[in-house]
Formats: sequence, structure tokens, C-alpha cells
Amino acid sequence: MSKKMSIRDLREEEVMWSGNPACQGCGGSLVGRLIFKALGRNSARVEVASCAPGFMNIRVPSFFGPAFEGGAAFATGLARGYKVIGREDITVAALIGDGGTVDIGFQGLSGAAERNENVFWFTYDNEAYMNTGGQRSSATSKYAETTTTPVGEFSRGKKERKKNVAAMVALHRVPYMATASIAYPEDFIGKLEYAKNIKGFRFIQISAPCPTGWRFDPQYAVKIAKEMVLSGMWPLYEVINGESFRLTYKPKEIKPIKDVLKMQGRFRHITEDEIKDMQDDVTAYWGRLVSKDGKEFF
Amino acid sequence: MKSEVMVGNKAVAYATKLARANLIAAYPITPQTTIVEYLSEFVAAGDLKAEYVAVEGEITAQLVCLSGSIAGARAFTATSGEGLLYMSHALHHTARYWAPVVMAVCNRSVRTMQPDHTDLLAQRETGWIQLYCENNQEVLDTGIMAYKIAEDERVRLPVAYALDGYVLSFTAEPVEIPEQEKVDAWLPPFKTQYPVLPETWDNDLAEYKKHWEQGKSINEPFTAWAGDENFSHLTMIGWKGHDLQWRWRAHQEAMMRAKKVIREVNEEYGELFGRRYGDGLLEEYRTEDADAVIVAMGTLASTSRTAVDKMRKEGKRIGLVKLKSYRPFPDEDFRDIAKRIHTIGVIDRNISLGENGIAYGSIRSAVYDMKDRPKVLGYYAGLAGREVRVRDIEKAAEKTLKGGEEAPTWIG
Repeated sequence: MSKKMSIRDLREEEVMWSGNPACQGCGGSLVGRLIFKALGRNSARVEVASCAPGFMNIRVPSFFGPAFEGGAAFATGLARGYKVIGREDITVAALIGDGGTVDIGFQGLSGAAERNENVFWFTYDNEAYMNTGGQRSSATSKYAETTTTPVGEFSRGKKERKKNVAAMVALHRVPYMATASIAYPEDFIGKLEYAKNIKGFRFIQISAPCPTGWRFDPQYAVKIAKEMVLSGMWPLYEVINGESFRLTYKPKEIKPIKDVLKMQGRFRHITEDEIKDMQDDVTAYWGRLVSKDGKEFF
Repeated sequence: MKSEVMVGNKAVAYATKLARANLIAAYPITPQTTIVEYLSEFVAAGDLKAEYVAVEGEITAQLVCLSGSIAGARAFTATSGEGLLYMSHALHHTARYWAPVVMAVCNRSVRTMQPDHTDLLAQRETGWIQLYCENNQEVLDTGIMAYKIAEDERVRLPVAYALDGYVLSFTAEPVEIPEQEKVDAWLPPFKTQYPVLPETWDNDLAEYKKHWEQGKSINEPFTAWAGDENFSHLTMIGWKGHDLQWRWRAHQEAMMRAKKVIREVNEEYGELFGRRYGDGLLEEYRTEDADAVIVAMGTLASTSRTAVDKMRKEGKRIGLVKLKSYRPFPDEDFRDIAKRIHTIGVIDRNISLGENGIAYGSIRSAVYDMKDRPKVLGYYAGLAGREVRVRDIEKAAEKTLKGGEEAPTWIG
């Protein structure tokens, strides 16, 4: 079970160089910085097509896999290759976007999780293909406007709900599965520190708001991430061995989701009825998670 | 030297074991399946010390081999037909990273499950070396030579070697198995040229940056190019600099160097183990005093040998050229042969739809600029696994001897 950690407990060494070509207010960059600050430099990074090559200023060997669907395959190969040369001490960390996780990379992800490869997988979830201009992915929220789910006379944005990839990975019974948020670094780092010493497949999905795609002022990236947690839209939890489920952060009071939706341009068209539809969904799911807290996951 | 009656797929497995591949990633597809079964048995019994990754699809199989090879493993995979096509874009990446992965391909037509060579020939622009085998002995020998070629520092490219599905994969023949010690002495353990290790990373980056800032690329010795190609992707720094075209150009030059390396490896192997396959790129059979030759790849070469022998008995001066290496393509060899004969008849067990047989096109192109070029005739045979009889080959050879029709014809 992970423990909350103070950000002061983090190692002082920065693994990220200064100078970062990502967009202002990029949530994904923060994810990259925190991961490698916690993992340290005896690690190797795998990335596929995503904004992550934009966080190129991370000082660990970085393997850019040119095959979008190959995140899990590249990580598997590196981990097995390191084993062959007797270097299992190197942490293989995959820093993959939501598209490379939930859509095109899902088959490989499922395969690696099932084989319990010695890989630490991080999905920085900005809820669309932001690198290619903000097309919808199956991680995009319902009603969100993206460049492939535009709002118009016959469209209200994305029709479908966000794919629950965290639960699906947990059902593979991997040693460690968690969600995290850039707004709760003490929670995120606690999870990183706990899981980095586990052998096998580990997965953390991190909420990483994207000012460019979600259309908000870059200064609010962390605030939006925080409001998503406080409203129950982004629950923070962990599942160990696919069995024991625990909410790692329980807001005293769950806020309505309306405020955080209204902060984002991608939801500016949303009606009261649509907000209610989303709110009902969030409330029901949060209720279900609370009822499972500290119990068996399924 | 031990001898055993074995199917082609077992010959592949033995070759992989003798070469001591230590990372195997594969997904089953008929007729490749028993290769990975034999290999997993070797691993299970402790006869082969390797990481065996039973992946969930061919793209993953290829990419695991690619990144495993970069980390320092001697990687192997095998596939067939549709599996190869599904793997296709990953093949480009293995080649572009100069990762010396070796792959066995049991040819399978995408129109039936029976063999033709269109599956692997369709991958000819991926930058892999492609070697085609005639019998199970050649399969085993090529499976070992493939690593020696792939890992040669003048090459460092992935190698695919092909055996006709069913015809070889599931047909047993006596095969001599070289001694492990002899193979070990000839093929030392694999060492990656550019290890991806955290402790050397700063240094590697600094070296690369220096290299890049000095504007070195295309005129540098080969090792630096390979370094560029790896580092440029590993670090992304390379994206900012360089003439982009050199990525293709350096690869092309490595392919051209591979011709010499394949010949050398074939010769060394011949000296050590007593078997060579022509000059490594192609093999001539009864061509010394021939008036015309037919060209065949894979098992069609066997059938063609019989046809040639039969016609020779009848006093017809026909020879056979077995094309072993399609990539790199031995165009000089063909020009050399072309000087001695009046017609080349190319039997293609493949087709480039809308144009013609693939080897036919390549051979025509190779001899085109010659002053007295021979006639080149094309024949399609054995596509989608259609049975090819000796008399079918004879028919093509007769036409070739006559220097007959121009257009490619369907035989069989």
C-alpha cells in the first residue's frame, strides 16, 4: 500500500534539464518530471508518438519507438534485453499518452500486462490526440469538443463515455495499478516510491490537463486537475494484485462537476441536461468506488 | 558431425539454438507454428538459454526483437504470410535502427495458405536482407550464417531467411547438424554496438552532440553513421540536424557492402562446415557451357535442377541459376552470367500485380545496360502453392532455350 509523501521527501536531483519545448501549462511535462525525479537516473524511458517527445529534456536513455502501437512491445524488449545482459536493475519506464494506451496501444498493453513484464507504464492522460492537433481518443470525456468531434447542428461533441482503462488493467491482476493527478504530487510520488521496487507490470494513469486542447488559460492546469479530483471526476485510487482496492484520497465533500467543466473551452457548448447526464454518471461511479474502498476490487 | 532427419521448421529451430539466440519473440501462424514450438521446447528443457516472449501479435514480436537487440540481446522471430504483412511497418523500424535481428519466414501465399514468395518479396523495401533457401540443410546453414551477416560491423542490418511453407516447413529431409563448439568459435556472443545504459548516457549524448555540431554525417565512416541513426532516434537531437536523405543513403550503402560480407560469410562457412551455397548470393548449376539459363528461388530451384539434368541428358545446353539473396540483389553476378548465354528465363513464384514477376523485373534491369544483353523471359509458376512439376519447368526451359516469347507466361 502506498503512503502519502511530502514533496520535500523527494530526491533533490532533477532528472529534467531546464528548457522544455512543450506548450505552456503542459500537464504531461509535470508528469515526466515527477516520474523520473522519483525513479532516479538508473532508468530508461520508452515513448511512442505523443507529446512526450516534447519532454525530451529528461536525462535518462530515451528510446523513441517509432511505432505508435508499440509502447508495450518496446518496453518489453528493453526489459528482456536488459535481463539478458544482466541489468535488471534498470527501471524500464514507458511514458505513453492516452491514445497510445487506450486505443492503438491497447492490444500491446494488455499483452504486456498479462505476461506481467517487468515494466513501469505511465499514461499521461490529456484525453485526446493532442500531438496531432486534438482529435478524440477513447479517453476523451463525453460531450467534449475535439477536432474530430466538433459541435454543430448534428453533433454535441463526443457521444461516448471515457474508456475506463484503469479498471481494465487492474483486471489483468497486475502487481500494481493506480490513478494519479498532477494536482496531488504527494499522492503520486507515494505511489511511485511504493511501486518502483515491485517487480512486474505496474501501471499509473495520471490526469494531465492540456491547456491547448481543453482550451483554458495555461495557469489553470493544476487547478483544473485538482477540481477534477475534488468533484469525483478523477478518483485517486490504487489496486494491488488486481484484488485490494483503496481510494488514496477522499475529498470530505464532493463538489459538483459543473464548475470544472465550465472552466474548459471544450465544454462551453454544454447544456444543463448534458451536465446532469455527466454528473449522474460521476456520482454513480464515485459511489461505487466508495463502497469498494478497502475491499476486493471485483 | 551429427545428422538427423528433420522438417524445415526444426532446421530453423536448430539453427537458432546453435546461434545461441537469447531473445525469442514470436506469435504462431501456420506454417511457421512448429518453429516456435520447437524453440519453446528447447527453452523449457534448458537446451537453449533464452528469454522466450510469447507475444500477442506479430507487430509486438518484431518490436520486442528490435528493442531487445538494442539493449544487447541476440534476437530471433519467425512468421509467415499474413503475419509478415501485419508486421510490415515494424520491419521498417528494425532496419532503420540497424538492429541485427534475424527472422525466419515460412513463405505463405496471401491467397491460400500454401507457399509463394509474394509475402516476403512485398517487404523488399523495408531494408532487410532477404535470403531464400532450397532445402532443409540450407535452411539450417543459412539460419546460422544469418547472424554472422547481420552482426558484421560493415552491415548491422536485420536478415530474413525464407523457406517455402509446407514444401520445406513440414517435409523431413536428412540434415547435418554442426557441432556447437565449432559454431561458438565462429560466431561469438552478440555485443550491441550502442548500448542504451544509464551510466554512459551523458557521455553518449555529449559524444553525439559533438559529432552533430561538427556537421559530420554522410562522409564519416560507417560506424559513425550507424551511431547517428541510433542516437538520432534515441535522443531526438538528430531530428534537428543533418541532411535527412542520408538515412536512406547510409542504409543503401550498408546493403551494398552486405554483398561482399555475404560472400565472405558463405566462404568461411564452407571452409569450416563443408557446405557453401554458390557465392552466397546466387548459385550456378551446370551453366559452364550453357546457351541459356533458367532462374528460380527457393524449392523451385530443386525442381529446376531435376529438369536441367533431364534436358542435359537429351543434349540440351541449359543451366540453372538459383537466386538466394534477393536483397541485396546480385546484379553484377547476373551481368557476368549474361555474358555467356543468349537468354535468361526467370521463373517467379510471386507477382507484382499490374507489372510482372519481381525477380524477372530485377534481372531485366540488371542486364539492361549491357552492350550485348541477353533476352530475358518471364514465367509465373507455383503461385498460391500450385504444384510445379518437372515438366512445367522443362516447358519454361525449352522456351528459354529457343529465346521465344517476350511476355511473361503462366506455366503449370
